[in-house]
Amino acid sequence: MLILSSLLGLISGTILSVNETILYSIPIILLTLPALNSLIGDISIVLVSRLSTHLYIGTLPPEITTTERLRQDFIGLFITIFLSFIALLSIGYTILFFSGKEIVNPLILIGILFLTVFMLFISLFIILFMLSIFLFRKNQDPTNILIPFTTSLIDLLTPLLLITLITIFL
Amino acid sequence: MEHMESDSSTRIIKETFPSEIVSIIGSIFAGVVLTILIIPFESFSVLILMVPAILSLRGNISGPFIARTSKDLIIGDFNFNTLIQNVCATIFLSLVISSLIGIISFFLNEFIFMVKAFSFLTFLIIPILSILLNLSISIPVSTFLNYIAFRYGLNVNNVVNPLMTAVDDFFSVFSFYLILILLGVP
Repeated sequence: MLILSSLLGLISGTILSVNETILYSIPIILLTLPALNSLIGDISIVLVSRLSTHLYIGTLPPEITTTERLRQDFIGLFITIFLSFIALLSIGYTILFFSGKEIVNPLILIGILFLTVFMLFISLFIILFMLSIFLFRKNQDPTNILIPFTTSLIDLLTPLLLITLITIFL
Repeated sequence: MEHMESDSSTRIIKETFPSEIVSIIGSIFAGVVLTILIIPFESFSVLILMVPAILSLRGNISGPFIARTSKDLIIGDFNFNTLIQNVCATIFLSLVISSLIGIISFFLNEFIFMVKAFSFLTFLIIPILSILLNLSISIPVSTFLNYIAFRYGLNVNNVVNPLMTAVDDFFSVFSFYLILILLGVP
């Protein structure tokens, strides 16, 4: 799993390297990319850690069904990621403004960043929930497998989705 | 265990959001190091190849380390032996995977980008030293934070991971930059 995730990381690096000109011409991308990866990664790690602990202590049944516990986790993490996203943009654009770097099409870029974060969050929430249940039923600790899998998938998907959307809209 | 049972969405937001802000600030600093310190390197197109893999390895290695430590604390299994086992496994995995990152980066560069930036040995050493330097900060800090968060009744799952992402992201990129300087990478 770790080898696969490193390979995905290197593919992500290749995507960035091939699109080197975008990184030079739209500084907000490279400036916020580690923070975007962290934001989606953190929320996913918190989700996997919580699901794993819930399953071990029995507060979440090991079956694919909607429960109040799961609903609370979804709402809590959704609001957290939304507020954090606003904070990320505010800090990123403030640094960019004071560093004197060019601010390119801010509204379209904010829209692109928003789409990237929320498309990834919603799809990952569903996938990670189902995989956690599956792994727990197989007597595996979901944290050991899903955290490396998720962080590397995010490291690959975030730049890929971001660069694809930039290519489409800009 | 009652920490988890009484967890509401409001509690998740209250505990996770402040740590997430710290995480974002740390990661933005990583972005600043990338845009200000790494872009000027002549070999930037080769270096950027390794950055996501190193950041990803940081998440893959220290994420499960933190999750295992927090789970041990919650279920009452945390002791010196489990901690040492966890640390040794983390360091061993880091060495193996960072070597692979170096080797694969070398071949990717040889066959795709063909930039004659530096030798095979440099490709190998950059990720290994960057990760080891980062772990020497990450392991003690995350263990300490897990322990303190647990003792003060916070849900370690909500608090420690985002905080450590900030520390790890910044130090991953900064360690990477320091190693590039030490090795005299162009």
